[in-house]
Amino acid sequence: MRFEVFRQEQRKDYHVHVGDVHAPNAELATQYAQVMHARRKPANSLWVVPKEEIATVDSDELGVEMGGTTQKEYRWATNYETGEMAEEIEESQREQEAATEARDASEGD
Amino acid sequence: MDIEEVKRRAGPREFGPGDDMPREYREAATRMIQFHANSEIMGALIERPFIRQAPSLERKLAVSAQVQDEIGHGQLLYRAAEQLGVKTREEMLDELADGRGKFLNCFHYPLHSWYELPMIMFFVDGAAMRRQASLKRTSWEPYAHAIDKICFEEGFHIKHGEDILREIATGSKRDQELLQAAFERWWPRILQFFGPTDDQSTHGGFAQSVGLKTMSNDDLRNAFLNAYLPKAEKYGLEIPEYPRVEYDAERDHYEIENDDLDWDEFGEVARNEFPTGREQIEARARRQEAVEWVREAITDDEADAGVTGAAAD
Repeated sequence: MRFEVFRQEQRKDYHVHVGDVHAPNAELATQYAQVMHARRKPANSLWVVPKEEIATVDSDELGVEMGGTTQKEYRWATNYETGEMAEEIEESQREQEAATEARDASEGD
Repeated sequence: MDIEEVKRRAGPREFGPGDDMPREYREAATRMIQFHANSEIMGALIERPFIRQAPSLERKLAVSAQVQDEIGHGQLLYRAAEQLGVKTREEMLDELADGRGKFLNCFHYPLHSWYELPMIMFFVDGAAMRRQASLKRTSWEPYAHAIDKICFEEGFHIKHGEDILREIATGSKRDQELLQAAFERWWPRILQFFGPTDDQSTHGGFAQSVGLKTMSNDDLRNAFLNAYLPKAEKYGLEIPEYPRVEYDAERDHYEIENDDLDWDEFGEVARNEFPTGREQIEARARRQEAVEWVREAITDDEADAGVTGAAAD
């Protein structure tokens, strides 16, 4: 059986997908996951999830529209020019800009 | 964990579903997040008519996107609240429908025209964003995670709100007069957004001592005024003489004359007894009932397919 592994580096971090392991059951899967993904790299917690339990949807499927695959400039803070903003609005815009840059960079691959 | 330990350990994202939290903490967190979730839903419903009334296609698309986002924020927040184990999502939605669920004062008043829209989309959402930004450091981790996504999306809402404000403010003389009238109607409600001053706040002290809240009402209101009063002036809005707002340069602080605000009305609003607020609650209850068949169709479909839906997790 295939299990997907999500690692949390430190307390309070998000769990992030890091790879998968093959194992006959969940108990062994958590052991293999520790060996593979939490032995050297700092880790605080692992989620080990049976692959077949994970429902998946991809952006190239018919009728699916995900962020970054559509022409929806009006949805972005960067689309509006309003001069100096409150610091928390600037922060929100920076997060959106980073997301856009990440998308554009991956398109260049 | 007892309450003393909670207070000792309280810090950003400190507690999650894996921790054994005392009842008092879980109830305080539920009250706060449920209020926030309800406000997202009721705010979306107030803005919704303007998808139809938007003066251009661009505005229509953007307003529609905002309303979608806010309904989504409500759903995220109900999940974060549900994980506290005090109330289920269904209970919270039922409470909102039957008038027990509480939500922000500003969403108890109807919006009459496009000129009033930026009062919500810029000033009220801006105030909400100020509070939300401070909640990235809340002690209930699932709440902080919901806030991460909300803050990512919310910057667009406020900037779009400001763009509408700018457009009206640079329009005709009549536009400017209608905008000023809308501002005068909404300004006292906006000042009341952060609730009564700290010495009169009933829940704030506990919520802050266990890290659920990270800033007091007074500090939030002050930070909001610091950022948004200059904006009002930039767009030529005249700040009404009453309620009095005095700037104390020495303390870099705005003092609000509490007696100039109508706290009786605020109390009525807070108890869900203000007539226009009651109308909003009942209108939402009717809408929820009207689309009951959709929820039934989804549930029936799930039963036929033999799968458990997201609601069952």
